[in-house]
Amino acid sequence: MQIVEGLLLLSLVGVLARMVRGPTPWDRLLAYNSASNRVVLVLAIAAVGAGRSTLLDITVVYVALSFLGVVILARFMERGGGNR
Amino acid sequence: MTSLILAGLGAAFVLIGTLGILRFDDLYSRLQASGVSDNVGAALILIALIVRNGWSWHDATLLFLLFLLLLTNPIATHSIAKSAFTRGHEGGESR
Repeated sequence: MQIVEGLLLLSLVGVLARMVRGPTPWDRLLAYNSASNRVVLVLAIAAVGAGRSTLLDITVVYVALSFLGVVILARFMERGGGNR
Repeated sequence: MTSLILAGLGAAFVLIGTLGILRFDDLYSRLQASGVSDNVGAALILIALIVRNGWSWHDATLLFLLFLLLLTNPIATHSIAKSAFTRGHEGGESR
């Protein structure tokens, strides 16, 4: 399972590279969404590996908060925020 | 053993999705790559975690997490695509 965790962290670095580079703000938002997805998976694997269900609860809250962030930022940019 | 195969498959899907996000040359193609492969990868990895140590109440949280991810991820992708389309972002090359 640690191999899978390492591969997920590697792909997290790739997604963060797209976040730094992305030409449009929507690319950055997409990269944020994907990065939070990978963080959630790594957290879930770590929680099951350590046998702590508290970490799993933290993961559920993380999913809800990142979803809210992405949707609210997308609506904000849809209505012309950020001078784009 | 089964859980390791499932988790490896999920990690492969996630890595292929990352490659798509990095290499495609159009915003909507990148959205497609992220939205499709991330769901399958997340589902496979979470199912692998459930398979790993048998059924218990501990795994109900994992199942709920899987349900939540499968519910929210397409909505987030769709909302990003709708936002870009409404603001008049044409397809086209933009690396």
